[in-house]
Formats: sequence, structure tokens, C-alpha cells
Amino acid sequence: MNAAVSTSAGVLEARNIVKTFSVRREGRTREVRAVNDVSVAVAPGEIVGLVGESGCGKTTLSRIMIGIEQPTQGEVRYGGKPVADRADWAALRRSVQYVFQDPFTALCPTMRIGKALAEPLAIHGLCAPSERDGKVARMLEMVGLHPDVARRMPNQLSGGQRQRVNLARALMVEPKILICDEIVSGLDVSVQAQVLQLLLDLKQRLDLSLIFISHDLRVIRYLCDRVLVMYLGEIVEQGETASVFDNPRHDYTRTLLAAIPDHSRALAAMADNA
Amino acid sequence: MEPVLSVENLSVRFPGRAGDITVVDDLSFSLEAGRSLVIAGESGSGKSMACQTLLGIAPGSARVTATRIGWRGRDLQKLSQEDWRGVRGAEIAMIFQDPTAALNPLITVEHQIVDAVRAHRRCSRDEARARAVEVLGMAGFPDAAQRMKSYPSELSGGLRQRVAIALALANAPSLIIADEATTNLDVSIQAQIVKLLRELQKKLGMALIFVTHDLGLAAEIGDDLLVMYAGHAVEYGPARGVLADPCHPYTRGLLRSAPTLKSSRDNPLVPIPGQPPQPGSIGGGAPFRSRCPVSVAGVCETARPGWSEAGPGHLVACHRFAQDGRRGLP
Repeated sequence: MNAAVSTSAGVLEARNIVKTFSVRREGRTREVRAVNDVSVAVAPGEIVGLVGESGCGKTTLSRIMIGIEQPTQGEVRYGGKPVADRADWAALRRSVQYVFQDPFTALCPTMRIGKALAEPLAIHGLCAPSERDGKVARMLEMVGLHPDVARRMPNQLSGGQRQRVNLARALMVEPKILICDEIVSGLDVSVQAQVLQLLLDLKQRLDLSLIFISHDLRVIRYLCDRVLVMYLGEIVEQGETASVFDNPRHDYTRTLLAAIPDHSRALAAMADNA
Repeated sequence: MEPVLSVENLSVRFPGRAGDITVVDDLSFSLEAGRSLVIAGESGSGKSMACQTLLGIAPGSARVTATRIGWRGRDLQKLSQEDWRGVRGAEIAMIFQDPTAALNPLITVEHQIVDAVRAHRRCSRDEARARAVEVLGMAGFPDAAQRMKSYPSELSGGLRQRVAIALALANAPSLIIADEATTNLDVSIQAQIVKLLRELQKKLGMALIFVTHDLGLAAEIGDDLLVMYAGHAVEYGPARGVLADPCHPYTRGLLRSAPTLKSSRDNPLVPIPGQPPQPGSIGGGAPFRSRCPVSVAGVCETARPGWSEAGPGHLVACHRFAQDGRRGLP
């Protein structure tokens, strides 16, 4: 395959996205701009971090990129072409998958794990029904779970296990891009490290691109090649993660960085005082 | 200095089908006035349950035992319901994780604080209202006299947590317990609240117990640090000493699995393998043995590790450390 072709074929792009919501308060309707003229692109194999506080529009933007929300203005492009009609979106969702924040509500409580994982295969008509169980078992192993988990119900799993199941379900259709919305923020630190490691491992093995949304700059710093800092619906700073973190230019980025509790920094400060 | 709070051999058990399930096992710590203690641990480590017993609000089915829970010369275990009412909310106050659930949605902020004040002190509504304005001001709630007429739903999460702090301060307690009080807040709000708690604690000479799963916060707020794992205290000492020189394999594992602002993929995180044990499955050995890279064969399975001293006031409960010292650590 020609390298240049594969590059443009893998790119997911949001161009000049504007999203406004109407809010009624005290009988008056007001327009709220959740996302204001934001453009994002993710290249093959890249991990892009989207960081900001609650209400900054990062989740809305990511939902627009997979068609759960419609933008007020702007367009989503995939592989160099605008995603326009239903067929385009259906094709996009084969290549772009979304992993939701809360591992408890993202799984149907009455559906066995195996069925939940087989569902994307059925929806996209990807393989013969007889092959589904085998694929589910292999995917469970890939995310570090025992194939027997397929027989369990969601309430029999811990938060970390559920988040692995969610990842597995998103990966069933062999996507090129994963959008991960705060997928480690509800997890304990030791489990969070396991899931981050798993993400890096899967990215390597499956040649995935990731859009990784988080409010935790420590996780973003660790994981992402590039970072976009969002504030009140706009991107206020973007660049390579290392340079943005070591050399923040925008005041808001500095404020965010200073607010992160960090034992390495706290200990360094203590050592300086001593 | 005499500690205001001294907990000796606290255990909390729940009756289960196959015998009692121990969620806090033989926990001891003490706290002096004007000092802060961070209790750090992951979910299920028993940190919240330990705090609830200090307020006498552990669930009814919990069996709480302790040699002594000393509080300003009294034993909390011996309090009657009537006595508890004079301690809870007045001498010891708590700030919960979710301010939305902790506040009554149907009455105004003013009303809630006035009620809290008048529950413990005979005073007029006007006096109580003045106190409400005062504590809201201390908690950094802007324009308190006017805005305390709001309902909780009209406030942002950060402001609601400030109301919860004001409620805790209302009766000038000697100890505030903050149970994951900043976990649901945005980072910049979290930083403000942590700073505020620290300042108030110093200014009012209160003791503070701050429960968190974030060791990064521990370094910023705690004088002392107690690390819990599966209901057990595994490491205890001055926060600075423990974080600079962690000596329990679990504390070391936690620190190595938590990203910091300096971490990058070139220096990969090292996750702790496996899962925390089910409550009640630890038996008599070292609680961390099933995930420990340096467990001592034949010892960790059977014997509960006692405290070894790793530095001034710095205690570690680990057979490996007791046997080999720092060179035995992973």
C-alpha cells in the first residue's frame, strides 16, 4: 500500500465546529456556545489529548466527531472527504469507535458480556454468527480478561474489568481510531495504570489512533503525543505534549498545571524549603 | 503534645454468610490538634469506613471494636446516643465527597446552616444567621449575606462544596474529616478547596483528616500520611518522609503506577499486577501478599506483619522490610 494514501485515508478531522445549545432559564431562551470554531485532526498512530475542565466542550466536540451530536456549523471529515449522509456516518462508525466515561452505565445491565461484545459484529455484519464466540474470546484475552468473562453479567465485574470490556467492545469492529472519554478517571490508581498500559499496548499492536479526553493532566502528559487545551468552548493552546507542559504559553494552561496535585512537585518544593 | 484523637486497634466487621467480613483490621493512629492526617488508599481499603466510625455513623450491621477510641479524654465507644449528638457535627464534623447529596435540596443554604447551629447551641435565629454569614465567609462563599438565600441547585459544584465546608465549620469543631471532599471537583476548584481547608485548619487550630486516593494530594495537604490496603494500615508516618522514602511494597507500587506531571512513555508506569483481594479473604497473613513482588515465602502467608521503624515516626508493616530493610524492596 502506498504510504501517502494510507495517511490521508486514516485521518479523522473536525473543521471549524460550532455547537450551540438553547437553554431556557427563568422563561427566557438563551443560546450557549458549547464549542466555538474548533478544529481537530488526528493522524494515523497518533494519540491526541483533549484536556479541560467540566463544561469546556471537550465531550461535546468528541460526540460531534462520531455523529452522536450534530454540529451547528462546521463539518467532520474522514479520509479526506466530508462525512455527509447516513451511509458516510455508518462507514465512519466502523472505523471510529467511542469508549464512554462511566463503565457502569455503558454496559447493558441485563446483557451477558459475550452478547454485548458480539453485538457490534452483528450490527456491522462482519462475520458469520458461528465465528462470533471465537472472536469474543480472543478479544477478551487481548484486553487481559479470561474468556469465561463472556458468560458473566456486568454487575459481576469490577470497575476496571468493566472498562476493559468497554474497550474490548469498541475494538470488536477493528476500528482505526478510538475516542476515549475520561475512561480512566473513575478507576483506582493501580487499575488506572493497568488500563493505560493496555491502551498503549493495543495501540501498538492494532496500529490505532486515539483521541483521549481527560481532565487529569498527569494522565495526558503520560499518554499523549499532542495535546489540545480547551477552555469555554475554544482551544486556547495546542502542541506537542512535552512542549505544552514544559513551556505553557496560555495563562489558562498555566493555571491548570499549577492546580494539579503532584507529589513529585510537592516533594521538590519541600526539598527546596529544607 | 497530647493527641486529641487516638484510635487504638480499631476493627470493623460485617456479618457475612461464611463468617464475619473484616473491612478495617486493627487500625491504630493518633492526631494532635492543629495537625492534618491524610488517609490514602484505593476503593475498598476501608478508609471511609474507618472515618465513619469516628462519627458514629457506620452502618447498623457493622460490628465496631476497638481497645479505645480516645477523643479529648473520652472514649467514643462509650458514648450514649445522647452524648453522640453533642459530638457529631459539633466537636467532630465531616465533609462528604458529594456535596449535592450532602445538602438538602429543598431548603436554602441559610436555612441549613441556621439549623446546624441551632442544633447545638441555644441562640436566636438572627444570631445563627450571623454565624452562617461568618462561616460562609470563612469558606470563601462570595457575597454570603445575599447568596445564602439560594437553594443548592442554584449553585455550582465548587460553591456547594464551600457550603458543605461552612456547615462543617458552623459549630467550631476540633476535628474535620474530609472524605474525598475534592474528588468530584474540577482541578482548579480542587486546588482552591485544598488550600482553603489547609488555611482554615491552621488558622482555627483544628485537626483535619483528609481521605483521598490521590497521593499527589497527600503531599500537598498532609502533615502525616497513613496508607491503607484492604482494611490494613501498611505504612504510617510524616507525609514528607513516607512519600520521599516509601518503604512498603504497596506504597511504592502506588507511586510507580501514578502518573505525575513529569512522567512520559519513555519511563513507563509500572502497574501493580492483579486485583485487590475480596474483603474478608485475607486471613492471617500480610494483606498485600497476593500482589507483592517481594513477599517472604512461608511468612507472609501466615503471619500478620507488625510495625518496623523506617525513620523518625515512619512505620512500615512489611515482613520483607523487617527482614532485609530497604535493600529488600522492589
